[in-house]
Amino acid sequence: MVANTELQRVELSGWRTGLTNLLRKENGTWWGTRRWLVQSILWTVIINGFVAFALFVVPLAAQVTRAPEAAEMDPLSNGVQALFQIGTIALAAGTIILVQDSIIGERQLGVAEWVLAKPVSRSAYVLAKLVAHGMGILVILVGLQGAIAYGLLSLALGEPFPLQPYLVGMVGLALHTLFYLSLTLLMGVLTDDRGKLLGVSLGALLGGLLIAGLLGKLAMATPWALASTLPAAVLQTPLPMPIWLPLTVTAGLVIIFVAVALYRFDRLEF
Amino acid sequence: MPRLNEAVIQTHGLSKSFGAVQALKPLDLTVPKNSIFGFLGPNGAGKTTTMKLLLGLIHPTAGGGSILGQDIVRDSVAIRSRIGYLPQQPRFLDDLSARETLHFTARFFFSGPAVKIEARVEEMLDLVGLQNKADRPVKGFSGGERQRLGLALAQVNYPELLILDEPAAALDPIGRHEVLRVMERLRSHTTIFYSTHILDDVQQVSDTVAILNQGELVAQGSIERLLTGGDGPVYRLAIKGDTDHALARIQSLPWVSTVNEAAHNGFVSWQVAVTDEQAAEAELLRQVLADESLTVTQFSRKEYELEEVFMNIVEGGAHGR
Repeated sequence: MVANTELQRVELSGWRTGLTNLLRKENGTWWGTRRWLVQSILWTVIINGFVAFALFVVPLAAQVTRAPEAAEMDPLSNGVQALFQIGTIALAAGTIILVQDSIIGERQLGVAEWVLAKPVSRSAYVLAKLVAHGMGILVILVGLQGAIAYGLLSLALGEPFPLQPYLVGMVGLALHTLFYLSLTLLMGVLTDDRGKLLGVSLGALLGGLLIAGLLGKLAMATPWALASTLPAAVLQTPLPMPIWLPLTVTAGLVIIFVAVALYRFDRLEF
Repeated sequence: MPRLNEAVIQTHGLSKSFGAVQALKPLDLTVPKNSIFGFLGPNGAGKTTTMKLLLGLIHPTAGGGSILGQDIVRDSVAIRSRIGYLPQQPRFLDDLSARETLHFTARFFFSGPAVKIEARVEEMLDLVGLQNKADRPVKGFSGGERQRLGLALAQVNYPELLILDEPAAALDPIGRHEVLRVMERLRSHTTIFYSTHILDDVQQVSDTVAILNQGELVAQGSIERLLTGGDGPVYRLAIKGDTDHALARIQSLPWVSTVNEAAHNGFVSWQVAVTDEQAAEAELLRQVLADESLTVTQFSRKEYELEEVFMNIVEGGAHGR
């Protein structure tokens, strides 16, 4: 066909070929629709609803009922627990639900085949999903909720909450969420069965917490210990091992999951 | 860029197995430049497997090939930047409209200027008659509309080669006719490699054909050659009278390979297969009429329909092999 010389051709760029266009499309699913607004409201209600409840409602209720435990109650500690313990698990579960269809759905429908018949590298396809979902989840589920919770904790404290330990906690929360994001994407590459994907991803989240209890001190270095170690790190209470250890292990596992996903996706047949 | 008459697609022993099942036996295929190449075969023959191998969507078990001079495994992304592909059952991002889908596709090939990309999108919508549905989500499209959108998408990048998997399968007769016209218009600019079950369409537009059966290439060549039956020209004669002497004389001619005789309704009909077309046309009728007691009421060269050739080949006949 006679090419139109007025159109500028996209240069092929190895593993990045097609990435910009795919990223634009994937980002559009977060920021080009009302998804960002719905998810922002939903997670604010879930996460910061718990935090606000622990910080303000529980102490107030204890005062009103004159419960004997009221004197020992530490609302700040409860607020931090709500964010970094319940939040960690809730955000991981939310991430699995939000991302589970991303690769598997397109594989089952034949959309992946259509996209990959264009000048697109297989790596670009996986990385576009990882980066776009990672951005959406880190901004809305982690960053926004962390910022609101920081305001609530500072309000309850009457002064700015110590920033450094809080940021360590947020890094842990982000890595924990990325761990389940990369695991879910990896499962979308390894299987085209949605049941297996959810079984492994949710099983790792809930079963991992149970197994961590059996492993004792060793479990403190795994992502499954973060739900209990992050609140302690933020509240600056002593930990059985340095917090950087589970953070490093979690980051390492994220890198391994992404690397395996890229390797396996390159060998998939459509 | 390939030179004129250069092969656009060339495979050498290209094969594919899925576990113990050999979906494609070693395939040597040559698709010439600017041809409309019909790729025929019954369901499960390996046509879609071949196309997916060419596109890099699946990996060969053995052998290899090239498209536009580039290796189908090593240079797959580069090849895909120069070709267009329509899958058998086109599936797109359902939430996007036809216009958005075209824009999304065009952006894999062109970085700008935006106004030129927009113009190309409009041109493609117009080409396949989807202007009035351009802004509706694709999920509401019928099978035929999806097929037309797929054709537009396959052409958006001015491809040097179009690979179309059953392009007219989901279309009504008018839609089919339109697709064939589009393919004919594109002939001078691009090469079209397409699979189909609709043999009438192949006979109308294709110049070259390959037939695949049970994963094996059983015929390949120009459509004219295939329609001769593959074993050489065959001439039909209807004769009145006693043909015994004439039959012996014809069978002794060096350029006659076989003579099949059948009698019906007072006539004897012959099918004479020959090796030398010119000799047959100059001499055959004269040799029969040398016997003055015979009357020849019909003399013609046998013309095969593609369907007949296809059925002969697929059911194990020798034609075209």
